[in-house]
Amino acid sequence: MERRTPAKLSLLCPDSSPAATPPPTPGFTGPRRSSRLLTLSPGPTKPCNDASSSPITLTSPIKAKRRLSLESPSTDPITPNRSESKRPKRRVNCKKVLYGGAELQVGDDVYVKKRESVESDSEDLDVEECRICFRPASESKVMIECDDCLGGFHLRCLKPPLRKVPEGDWICSFCADKKSGKEVVWPKPPEGKKIKRTAKEKLLLGDLRAARIKSIWREVDGTHWLRCMWYRTPEETAAGRQLHNLRRELYRTNDFGDVEMESVLRHCFVMNPEEYRQASDQGDDVFYCEYEYDVNYHNFKRLSDFDGDTCDGYRAEINESSDYEMDSDQESDNDDTSIRRSSSPRNRSKVFAANSRKGRAFWLPKIAETKTQGHGKRHKQTKLEKASAALSLASRPMSHPCRNKEMEEIKTFVKGAIGDDQCLGRCLYIYGVPGTGKTMSVRAVMRNLKSEVDLGVLQPFCFIETNGMKLSSPNNIYKVIYEQLSGYAVGWKKALRCLDEHFSNGKKVGKKDQKPIVLLMDELDMLLTRNQSVLYNILDWPTRPNSKLIVIGIANTMDLPEHLSPRISSRMGIQRLCFVPYNHEQLAQIIFSRLKGIDAFEDNLIELACRKVAASSGDARRALQICQRATVLAEYRVKQSADAKAKGKSRVCLTDIEGALDEVFKSPHIQRMKMCSKFGKIVLVAMVNELHRTGGEELTFEKLSERVISFCSMHHVAFPGYDTLMRVCCMLGDSGIVLCEEPKKHMSQKLQLNCPSGTDDIALALKNCPEIPWLSLYL
Amino acid sequence: MAGSVQASVALVQLRERLCSRTFAHSLLQSSSDSNFRKLKFHISSSISSACSKVLLLRGDKGSGKAAVVELVLKDLKAEHPDAISVVKLYGLLHNDDDNSALEEIARQLCSGHEFSFSKTASLEENKEFLMDMLKEYGLARKTVVFVLHEFHLFTQGKQWLLYTLFDAMETFTSQSIIIVGLSCLEGSEQQLEKRVRSRFSSCTLLFGPPSEEDGRRLLEQLLHLQKDSSLPSKYVVEFNSRLHKIFSDKKFKEILSSFACADGSINHLLRFLFVASSYMDMESGHLSLQSFESAYSLMKRQPKFDSLHDLSILELYFLVCMHRLQCKEETSYNFNSVMKEYKAIQDAYRTSDNYSHAVCLRAFEHLLDRELISFTDAKGRNDSIRFRPVKLLVSSRELHDSLKSNPSCPAILQKLLDHESYM
Repeated sequence: MERRTPAKLSLLCPDSSPAATPPPTPGFTGPRRSSRLLTLSPGPTKPCNDASSSPITLTSPIKAKRRLSLESPSTDPITPNRSESKRPKRRVNCKKVLYGGAELQVGDDVYVKKRESVESDSEDLDVEECRICFRPASESKVMIECDDCLGGFHLRCLKPPLRKVPEGDWICSFCADKKSGKEVVWPKPPEGKKIKRTAKEKLLLGDLRAARIKSIWREVDGTHWLRCMWYRTPEETAAGRQLHNLRRELYRTNDFGDVEMESVLRHCFVMNPEEYRQASDQGDDVFYCEYEYDVNYHNFKRLSDFDGDTCDGYRAEINESSDYEMDSDQESDNDDTSIRRSSSPRNRSKVFAANSRKGRAFWLPKIAETKTQGHGKRHKQTKLEKASAALSLASRPMSHPCRNKEMEEIKTFVKGAIGDDQCLGRCLYIYGVPGTGKTMSVRAVMRNLKSEVDLGVLQPFCFIETNGMKLSSPNNIYKVIYEQLSGYAVGWKKALRCLDEHFSNGKKVGKKDQKPIVLLMDELDMLLTRNQSVLYNILDWPTRPNSKLIVIGIANTMDLPEHLSPRISSRMGIQRLCFVPYNHEQLAQIIFSRLKGIDAFEDNLIELACRKVAASSGDARRALQICQRATVLAEYRVKQSADAKAKGKSRVCLTDIEGALDEVFKSPHIQRMKMCSKFGKIVLVAMVNELHRTGGEELTFEKLSERVISFCSMHHVAFPGYDTLMRVCCMLGDSGIVLCEEPKKHMSQKLQLNCPSGTDDIALALKNCPEIPWLSLYL
Repeated sequence: MAGSVQASVALVQLRERLCSRTFAHSLLQSSSDSNFRKLKFHISSSISSACSKVLLLRGDKGSGKAAVVELVLKDLKAEHPDAISVVKLYGLLHNDDDNSALEEIARQLCSGHEFSFSKTASLEENKEFLMDMLKEYGLARKTVVFVLHEFHLFTQGKQWLLYTLFDAMETFTSQSIIIVGLSCLEGSEQQLEKRVRSRFSSCTLLFGPPSEEDGRRLLEQLLHLQKDSSLPSKYVVEFNSRLHKIFSDKKFKEILSSFACADGSINHLLRFLFVASSYMDMESGHLSLQSFESAYSLMKRQPKFDSLHDLSILELYFLVCMHRLQCKEETSYNFNSVMKEYKAIQDAYRTSDNYSHAVCLRAFEHLLDRELISFTDAKGRNDSIRFRPVKLLVSSRELHDSLKSNPSCPAILQKLLDHESYM
């Protein structure tokens, strides 16, 4: 692994302050641990809980808890539930579970057995024994912990014996001897008594693991499972144990796992530095955690101050709410938990805003906390609803018909590029009109290749996806790429510099140095800047030796490379792939593949829609949308009729699909014209009449008003006045049927019809108007 | 005295109803084919089946699009508490091109959950926040409703707000993002960028003027006093019966239909009723046909014609002169040329309306202020008014009518106008 100097690092990522080497623990290395076993009285309270709400308060909790956990065999861990008989047939989320006498709840830290060592030494040492006399601590014999080897010693057993626990760090004589280079002889245990290890020791040696519970649920078969976030010891990180690591230090990770409840041993307490410093005598299971370790990128991040705050507030909240709903029932179903509102933050000055980068992690989980009532997946879906869901753009069908050839081509391209030992950089340009499945195909191929990587057929690669439309400025693409590559968010200039280094002289970002990178650039044409530098930079990287970069660009126009400057188009290479619009058979095939097993459409209706779409654009999205819209219309029709007979034959019929087609293809103007006010219609007809007479495209308000006046006098309608007429014209202009200048120009205001098919639309809309029958005379 | 107290209480009651944004539309929601029902069906079905949807509400200004959306969302919020959050954006305020739209989204999402919000967050941060929020909403099975007022203004420029939202609708599967666009402009979907249009599909609801039947029902429910109000029942009964008589009056129907000729929207009707209620006779405490009539005459006033009516004789001379110049096909004229024409007339007919140059300039400026004439060019601000070309904004017919209706207009002026234009 390559080490970077801290200075460089801080320069790289100023805001997240990550580090490739574990950062040194702060100077006050002696958070007073020496008096850990000074007395036995308060016992381990939960670090973040109020004493009142902690589930078990006992006078000597160490012993009591241990006994409980020993007495109740771990095979039958769960307290019998009174609703055992009517156990529901699905997963039930729980917030608290009584397990082995101890109460586990979300947010607690626990020891978890590693699978292989579960039975190795089942006798678990509850209380630490003195390293000299091998007897546990008791009321009269106070123990002290060595800050180096973490061994416990009775004050009296020491030579010379100590009267009270000393201030500051204390190191036992054995460690002191060891340090000064002397031979150390540890006292041997008495015959017949073998050395037992505590859970803490096991954890630090890697036989146990520590985890924080993220959620608890009960499976259908009644077993309880946890989703937990693992902690790691310094030895388990890529950097190994460093000199500055404390003995009891753990790293929080972003590694999650699901474990069964049975593998949980008992509580431990992972604290942040502040809590750790204050926790003076809380038993043996106390650990220190200051940094988060990213398992993917192998970097460390200091847990910022508010994180501590978070779990504080979070836990306090859980306790509040659990007090009233937990007394009767240990478990609670997700669906009937009362709604918990996120309380406003206690300490506003410290908390970042939710829409800033740092605050997001703190605020966002609160949304999920407020529970919805019954969610929609519950009710039985009708045929139409099923069809509508299958046809929605958001649904992810398993198969992608009609694009096999193109997908094969992409696949061979990527495979050819990756498979080379050299892995030369390459470019592929994909073009086609919207809705022809370009992005979908690339994604499907990438999923395919990922599974091949998992099987070990293909060497691993890294897939980065960017979309030009989602960037606020083209330059931000560097930022996005760098962030996906390394996990750090930096400014685009820095990102550009780092990426440039990465691709040119082999100074690699992150741990992806061995892997080739496949970069998908969707909506490539949005990345064009005036001097085209962004495209130039990105397309230049693949041409460099050892870049191992494969670029796939997607855009709509066929000849985008030709519009670019020659140095870019030459770098883009000649490999292109065209996605032609779907024809009606392909569209129908796509829809049928989605509707497999759902009989929601009457015969030939899908073909009708597909033919219409194929004739206009060949956009698969459009075809899906029309069919979905038709199902919704049918649904509405069925619901309105509210008739048992109609519900029986709830299928999409011709009227529905025609309605959907009309909505998409028919000009909306006609309906709108029919809804115009009376004078609006007269104005429109007058316009048509006047335009016919003059043969021009536009006319002035003066001409129009004269025509309207003559209409009015001929058909005995009261003329409403110029200003009202002007208002009517402006309203027509607002609705987009007429283009008009601002009304300030008054008489010389120019008006123009704005219908797709000109005057014919108006004739179609206003002929045989029941309100004003004489209008047809002028059409 | 008691009568007037009753009347003022009744008036307050009426005005509360007439000024409420949603009251009139809530009266119409019960009818079977109402937009309220359709909209509610669409939104609630996509909430229950967790699918995303775009709804486009089209209709003239004042046809009640926003009010119906408000009513539907209020209803649905009561049905699904805490499951819906609403983000309202206005096309005029939240321009697509800068941070303001995303910042506003972030602000509204934050305030909906009592999160703290930072104004200084960058565009990227806000965008990521939106995406993360949508993801979280998906996990929590909540619905976000984006209400885009003036939807057609979002369809200009780069349109990446729409692209982002539509793409999110495709990306997040287990959740419902509902976009309700309100637009009075037809063809706004034609302006969409091709990529955005491919992702765009909408259910369209058309808002039009209420039908005759609905309009009648609306009138009754708006103006009839409630029986169980604090007012004495005798008064309420009489008030309502009088109203009933007015409604069946032929003249009232005429007023109503001629009023709806220009603009039949509900908002226009409400405005008319409000004016009518202001003409209520406070002594008797009842609405009469008279009050509706005077309201109608007030509503159909033509401000342009009124301003023509108020002009002095000299100003009328000027307008006639300009009209004569126009008829002589002089395309461009300014104060000096108009003055020349005026002097020529004065020389020929020797009227008593011969004024000095300075007075004429004042009159000319007054006409400019009234916007009866205007400069043809926008530039040349530093030039003197006398040399800038102007044009007439009044048609000959309007001028003719105003001369006719002006009692103090000298006959010669009318003759001058007639002579030239109707020869």
